[in-house]
Amino acid sequence: MNKIEAIIKPFKLDEVKEALSEIGIQGMTVSEVKGFGRQKGQTEVFRGSEYTVDFVPKMKLEIVVADDMVDRVVKTIQETAKTGKIGDGKIFVWPIKRAVRIRTAEVDEAAV
Amino acid sequence: MIKKFTTKMRDPKERKFFYTLFGGKLMGAGLCLLLMWAAFAYFEGSATRAHADDTAVKTEASPAAPAAPATPAPAVADALPPYVNPINTAWVLLGGFLVFGMQAGFTMLEAGFCRERETVNVLVECMFDTCVCGILHWAFGFAIMFGGGNALFGWHLPGDPTKSLIFMKDVSLLATYGSTGIPILAHFLFQFAFADCASTICSGAMVGRTRFWGDILYSIGVSGLIYPVFGHWCWGPDGFLATMGSTGGFLAGLGMNFHDFAGSTVVHSIGGWVAIAGALVLGPRLGRRFKRDGGEPMLPHNIVIAVIGALILWFGWYGFNPCSTLSIMDNVGVARVAANTTLAACGGGIAAVLWVYFRTRKWDVISIVNGSLAGLVAITCPCYWVSNAGSIVIGLVAGVLVVLATDLLEHLRIDDPVGAWPVHGVCGIWGTLCLGLFASGEYSAAGSSPTGVPSIVPGSADALTGLFYGGGMKVLMAQCIGSLVVCTATFVTAMVMFKALDAVSLLRVSKEGELAGFDLDQHGSEAYPKSAGAHWSEGKASS
Repeated sequence: MNKIEAIIKPFKLDEVKEALSEIGIQGMTVSEVKGFGRQKGQTEVFRGSEYTVDFVPKMKLEIVVADDMVDRVVKTIQETAKTGKIGDGKIFVWPIKRAVRIRTAEVDEAAV
Repeated sequence: MIKKFTTKMRDPKERKFFYTLFGGKLMGAGLCLLLMWAAFAYFEGSATRAHADDTAVKTEASPAAPAAPATPAPAVADALPPYVNPINTAWVLLGGFLVFGMQAGFTMLEAGFCRERETVNVLVECMFDTCVCGILHWAFGFAIMFGGGNALFGWHLPGDPTKSLIFMKDVSLLATYGSTGIPILAHFLFQFAFADCASTICSGAMVGRTRFWGDILYSIGVSGLIYPVFGHWCWGPDGFLATMGSTGGFLAGLGMNFHDFAGSTVVHSIGGWVAIAGALVLGPRLGRRFKRDGGEPMLPHNIVIAVIGALILWFGWYGFNPCSTLSIMDNVGVARVAANTTLAACGGGIAAVLWVYFRTRKWDVISIVNGSLAGLVAITCPCYWVSNAGSIVIGLVAGVLVVLATDLLEHLRIDDPVGAWPVHGVCGIWGTLCLGLFASGEYSAAGSSPTGVPSIVPGSADALTGLFYGGGMKVLMAQCIGSLVVCTATFVTAMVMFKALDAVSLLRVSKEGELAGFDLDQHGSEAYPKSAGAHWSEGKASS
């Protein structure tokens, strides 16, 4: 099993969620985060002056899937979340040692 | 900073740069004044000056009674219809309630502008300094400020040196203030609300790093000493600025006294200059990096509350300015003041937001808030004596000044979280000087009257006429002197007070406390507690 962690632009969340449910993904965890990469922040105005603010709001998705789904999920996220402009985000894949469904105590592949 | 300037000035290239820049700024200021004068000449030149003699004016035989006279006029009071004093008292009390309502506005504005971690401190400080101010103003603040005494401070009922106002000791049931006909305690309530405003303004620049003991002590200093004494100079029956230019008074040759209708200098300048003294002695909040060093602003944690607070302040200003007539019988004056107040606020907001738009291509919310407040502060001094058009111009200039002053603070690396000095300190001075420029020559220099609309000959010595209306430099000089005296005295006294508090470590919170969580350190609570589900448990199930 692997965990796919994707940092995307906040307004892309609904599109990505729809696309993932179309390929059969039934669960994910989403959090609001801030960050920057080579985008280097954005310009905001405060009290009449412009400032460069380093951290830009983003959405983080975490999805745990069986090994055979990983490539499809990564491809779907990358294609749906892309706008072509700087700041689109990144996807990371982590190995997962164990997964448990709390309600039924199912383990590993049956739990995801 | 002065040493840096003098060493820089030794270099001829730097000198040339400085003179060019300074010359450019002077030219710019001159151009602004010229434009204002030209606009005036166009709008006011053709209008007749005799508005004050209109049929709406009441014809009661009353002397042009000053708002804070030295002696009561019992003969006139006996001839008044019995409803006059109660109605005027109701008017003054209404003003007191509205101005007190501004405390809600100030609290919301300051709380909205600061970060979550320092919010509880703002809330407690606003409540606490209101309570302290009430007691101190009753005990001796009102007596020092409005009592008769000498040119520097007062203590007794005006006109009756045997009756002390300290702790309202000799205030009998029938005592009224001067010839206003307002009971002492009603006038006290109204003035307490003003004193509370001055005291709250100071706290704005000191948010986020002031130890609470320091907060308490400087509140006592401002409400107990700075505001009443310097206020007495301007508004006391024998204050030396109020009686300036008269025979036997301060600067008798000037021939004009200092005027401040509702307190651009007395309330706002005093508040603003104490604020900046505090901000200077305290230093910036930890982690605050300024724009010139590439830093980011410490963003307001709740702009919604801040803007609503600003609107509540504007609403309260309808008590601050119009009720300062101390008389509803001068209904024409009250109406004019209310209209002028509104127009200046509108002008200020528009000017500030437009100025920032042309600079950044963004419509900035904080600019429009501070711009409106700046317009209100500026109109507070001249509101009785200027025309509607004048009020708009006063507001427009104030809106631009506040943005520039905010930039100056950022450049000088002074951390003023809510902009107390740009709004109140700088625009308080501008408003005070505006009287000398825009006083239209149609309204009584003595201010309002408790018995009706004061009728005077426009353009005569009884009217206040400013530079732009052909009144010459006299009023402007008096305003400059008054503003300079009060602002300097305030700043110097405040610096001494804050340095003294700092020397005994009572002013600034400890570094560990500030880093760990300012509200937790000083108040043991957070404004937005994060419970992490701690309250959801049902308790252990019984077996």
